[in-house]
Amino acid sequence: MKRLLSPVSGMLREYRVGVGAVVAPDTEVALVESMKMEIPVLAEFSGRVTALLADQSTMIEEGQPLLELGA
Amino acid sequence: MSWDKELDEVARRRELAYRMGGPEKVERQHANGKLTVRERIDRLLDAGSFREVGTIAGSARYEGTQLVEFVPANQVAGHGTIDSRPVAVVGDDFTVRGGAADASVYEKLLYPERLAHDLRMPIVRLVDGTGGGGSVRTLENKGFTYVPALPGWHVLDANLTRVPVIGLALGSVAGLGAARVAASHYSLMVCETAQIFAAGPPVVAHAGQQVTKEELGGSQLHARNGTVDDEVDSEDAAFSRTRRFLSYLPRSVYELPACVSCSDDPQRREEMLLSIVPHDERKVYAMRPVVEAIVDRGSFFEIGRLWGRSVICGLARFSGVACAVLASDPYHYGGAWTRASSEKLARLVDLADTFHLPIVHLVDVPGFQIGVDAERAATIRAGVRAMSAIERSTVPWCTILVRKCFGVAGAANRPAGRLSMRYAWPSGSWGSLPIAGGLEAAYRADLEAAADPQAMRTQIEARLRAVTSPLRSAEKFSVEEIIDPRDTRRFLCEFAQLSLHALTPGPSAQPYRP
Repeated sequence: MKRLLSPVSGMLREYRVGVGAVVAPDTEVALVESMKMEIPVLAEFSGRVTALLADQSTMIEEGQPLLELGA
Repeated sequence: MSWDKELDEVARRRELAYRMGGPEKVERQHANGKLTVRERIDRLLDAGSFREVGTIAGSARYEGTQLVEFVPANQVAGHGTIDSRPVAVVGDDFTVRGGAADASVYEKLLYPERLAHDLRMPIVRLVDGTGGGGSVRTLENKGFTYVPALPGWHVLDANLTRVPVIGLALGSVAGLGAARVAASHYSLMVCETAQIFAAGPPVVAHAGQQVTKEELGGSQLHARNGTVDDEVDSEDAAFSRTRRFLSYLPRSVYELPACVSCSDDPQRREEMLLSIVPHDERKVYAMRPVVEAIVDRGSFFEIGRLWGRSVICGLARFSGVACAVLASDPYHYGGAWTRASSEKLARLVDLADTFHLPIVHLVDVPGFQIGVDAERAATIRAGVRAMSAIERSTVPWCTILVRKCFGVAGAANRPAGRLSMRYAWPSGSWGSLPIAGGLEAAYRADLEAAADPQAMRTQIEARLRAVTSPLRSAEKFSVEEIIDPRDTRRFLCEFAQLSLHALTPGPSAQPYRP
């Protein structure tokens, strides 16, 4: 079980994937608004999304877990 | 009467030294996924080039005049070549007393550092030891205690201003071992087999924290907070990156970096550069493909990919000339300078100035990171350190304004006090403050007095947008030249060639600090 962390602090606009989705490195998994820009969060590794860990439209911190990936 | 008998005895002791900590300890080293120090040196250096120094240094036990036991010192040292260029090397032998410094022969430990210093060659430290002082047990052996000191540290420190220094963490390294890794121009750790800490889990447990060594000092932490520059997944990858890093640098500050022949056309145009920057300023684009497109093909060597991520740092060649490359990464805070990225940037600029590498800066900087997190991190402190590094640098500098260039961090796109070359893409957008955000502050009274503030805001923004064309800046020579992005490589190769005649060998006026 691996957790994907937010690379930046800002507002979590939306998840681009849901539970059950299969992602690979560089898949866009979420969109965060930071420094007045829309910053895509990219997966760093492959896996199947087993849980979304933050609420959409809330402020998140750099390093905060965004989703959980299983094999 | 020959000296065969004496030489036989030297040979016998060498054989004993080559056994390191003995077959059992060697097997355990392998079982832990690690190479022995001798295997490491063989794989790092050009085949057969290692000249060992101090092979039979160690601790011996005699009965009468007969040697009955010999434990080699737990540092293996000497010199050899990498890509046929000389390099000093020193490696901890973890199979002897866990690489602890109290099992080393002190004079031998310093020799490779002095060798690098005096004969002006890079030094590679293969660190796999538990620190400086050894164990508390030494108290009993010595019969006294001492005020901590690091004899010879001045040589390690002087080397940073003189020759390329590389620190590789290849096991659990603590205390002095950790310092020897970090006191370098480039450092690496191997995922999972290497950890770095001031003190390991047993000591930390006494302070009330129960953690594994991976949690305390693994690469998940330290390749992401800047303790080391990069992580690699194997020791071989560490050696290969070490060789690659050295290929861009001169032997010492007293020489200039070697130029290599270049088969990649300096005039090569890349079509994709014309459309890579989106018109919508809220949208990001990937900067690494831009870097890859303009450098000599395949020559970009990134440093610190996992930390300080809003700035991409590395070494590359332009028409064969080794340069340092700084580039904003819009995917991280839109390219804004954070505390960590400022620290990373400052180190690369210092490295470039120390070893005479011209600097290329691809700019998309909305300013310093703003907000509570940024203030909590003391961003401006690291930010002005980066600005000092830039201002005090003396190597030729070329800036490409790719998109945004705002605020104090934007102003640091180049050193202000001397000539630098600068080109802007037509996507360039700059100012002391971006219109979004800046508008409300500047026109607050007008907006508050307006019958329809939203309509007035739109009206003001349209007026402001009309004067933000880069062409208007070029009229006033605020930007020197606007270029077709597809020609970027040509301009940078020209810059690199012009720079060759403006590099001066010798120590930098700004002595490198790690």
